[in-house]
Amino acid sequence: MELREAPRHLMVCEKSNFGHEKSRHKHLVETHYHNYRVSFLVPECGMLSKELKNLVMEIGPYYSVKNLPLHELVTHEFIHTFVKKGSFSALTYNTSIDEDNTAALLPNGKLILSLNKDTYEETGLQGHPSRYSGRKTMKFIVSIDLVDLSANLDSKKYERVSWSFKEKNPLKFDFLLAWHHTGAEESTMMSYFSKYQIQEHQPKVSLSTVRELQCPVLQSSSLAGEPEEACSALELFDWLGAVFCHADLDNQPYNFISTYRCPQPSTVVAQACLCTVTGFILPEKINVLLEQLCHYFDEPKLAPWLTLSVQGFADSPVSWRENEHGFQKGGEHLYNFVIFSNQDYWLQMAVGANDDCPP
Amino acid sequence: MAAFADLDLRAGSDLKALRGLVETAAHLGYSVVAINHIVDFKEKKQEIEKPVAVSELFTTLPIVQGKSRPIKILTRLTIIVTDPSHCNVLRATSSRVRLYDIVAVFPKTEKLFHVACTHLDVDLICITVTEKLPFYFKRPPINVAIDRGLGFELVYGPAIRDATMRRYTISNALNLMQICKGKNVILSSAAERPLEIRGPYDVANLGLLFGLSESEAKAAVSTNCRAAFLHGAVARPVPMAGSDCIRCHGESNGEALLCSLT
Repeated sequence: MELREAPRHLMVCEKSNFGHEKSRHKHLVETHYHNYRVSFLVPECGMLSKELKNLVMEIGPYYSVKNLPLHELVTHEFIHTFVKKGSFSALTYNTSIDEDNTAALLPNGKLILSLNKDTYEETGLQGHPSRYSGRKTMKFIVSIDLVDLSANLDSKKYERVSWSFKEKNPLKFDFLLAWHHTGAEESTMMSYFSKYQIQEHQPKVSLSTVRELQCPVLQSSSLAGEPEEACSALELFDWLGAVFCHADLDNQPYNFISTYRCPQPSTVVAQACLCTVTGFILPEKINVLLEQLCHYFDEPKLAPWLTLSVQGFADSPVSWRENEHGFQKGGEHLYNFVIFSNQDYWLQMAVGANDDCPP
Repeated sequence: MAAFADLDLRAGSDLKALRGLVETAAHLGYSVVAINHIVDFKEKKQEIEKPVAVSELFTTLPIVQGKSRPIKILTRLTIIVTDPSHCNVLRATSSRVRLYDIVAVFPKTEKLFHVACTHLDVDLICITVTEKLPFYFKRPPINVAIDRGLGFELVYGPAIRDATMRRYTISNALNLMQICKGKNVILSSAAERPLEIRGPYDVANLGLLFGLSESEAKAAVSTNCRAAFLHGAVARPVPMAGSDCIRCHGESNGEALLCSLT
């Protein structure tokens, strides 16, 4: 018997410059919809600037509702009030993507349902089998374009969707909601969903200073690193993970817990600022944060680079855009920016086993 | 994918211990468990008792960790057969066997294994893990069993308790995989105490040691268990009063109605 390989992971690394006109950074941040955790690490920084701190504190609330029936998300009133005026994001809470039915409303107006075989057959809607379902198809994905539906309320499509959600198989879920809107109508959310125990939550922020941190030396021009001169993007990615876990970076080979060592060449920085925000975070806010972090280097700083990492919800049905996301033994889909002082950047996008390749 | 299930929690006489087992299973993330009553006809005067009533166990079912719905408890009967006469109880139409959701058989000889695969009205066939296999697996009966929708059950509880059993478990499992190619395999705990249950992803990893592939191992704790339960629901339906529909408990949202399948 041979042990087969570990489940596959994919990582896409690319480098560019923020000033470059074809840079995809904004688009890639915007199309990663369901963000659970945003962390940034700034070496040689003891305290965050006031602007950064305010930005982090005001990342914006998200909401939770209980037992919201799906038909509420396809009413004309809902689409008109929320989906068309800004970007509304919703994700089912307390559902596992590999076990249960999951639903997500993407900011572009698409309602994605990831359904078990039984539920799919009961709903009577048109969908396609999941790509990661195994030999016997047990999972189906249904995609409903709400904007398209609302344009023609008398269409057969809208009637069928309405009938399915109201009568044939009324599905209810607990949802996490977030809304990025251009107007100033905060209270609309609370009053519209008042029947469903809507609660407002603020993302959790944790700020800490890491002392005497071993940081790898990087050269923005070479992703693969230079022997003896700079570390590769892959080594940086692993190192960053170790820092987030507060793991020791200088283990001996015989250490029982971890044999991880900081990649060489490295320098020791006296202090580094590590900030983590956890919640249901909108991509628009991450773009604002990214821009602010780029401006960090407007004045000369000791730090050669800083990183911004964003982790997606493990149980989201999509990773980027409408790429299907699944959970095999792990449900990671995350991206990491390494921002250099000359506005060059590295972008690493990583996904797990049951995922399409990142764009 | 289906919800995670552990189809073998050993029913002792102590209801409190059983409650502890179910609560641990819910805490670990199992959405469905089956309480296993074992009957061994080798001992004299063995009668099939009525299954434990779920309402006796819990007034409110424990919630599965990470979900907002309670755990589903099924009842299962395992019959250890050492003699062809023991199988008669499965043929009787009005016996207590029909009160159970899942029926499993544990054949101890090659002939009985063949009969179980090809003829007996059961949902699961248990595979020995505590001793050397008393017979070799042959491909034809196993293929018939797979076609009929029967599952092969491997338990990992003895492997936790004892190192020698661990060797037998792995070698018997590998033997089975060579013939059945990983299809229709179920992994369950045979737990008597809460400490003997392992989480679903850990059990799926254990499946890799048994020779299953990644997706087969995950199916062994989810999809295949669901298939075994549905097999039982269809083969031994419990008709509801005044309707032609067979109602079976479904996981996830709502209950699956299998209409007009008689």
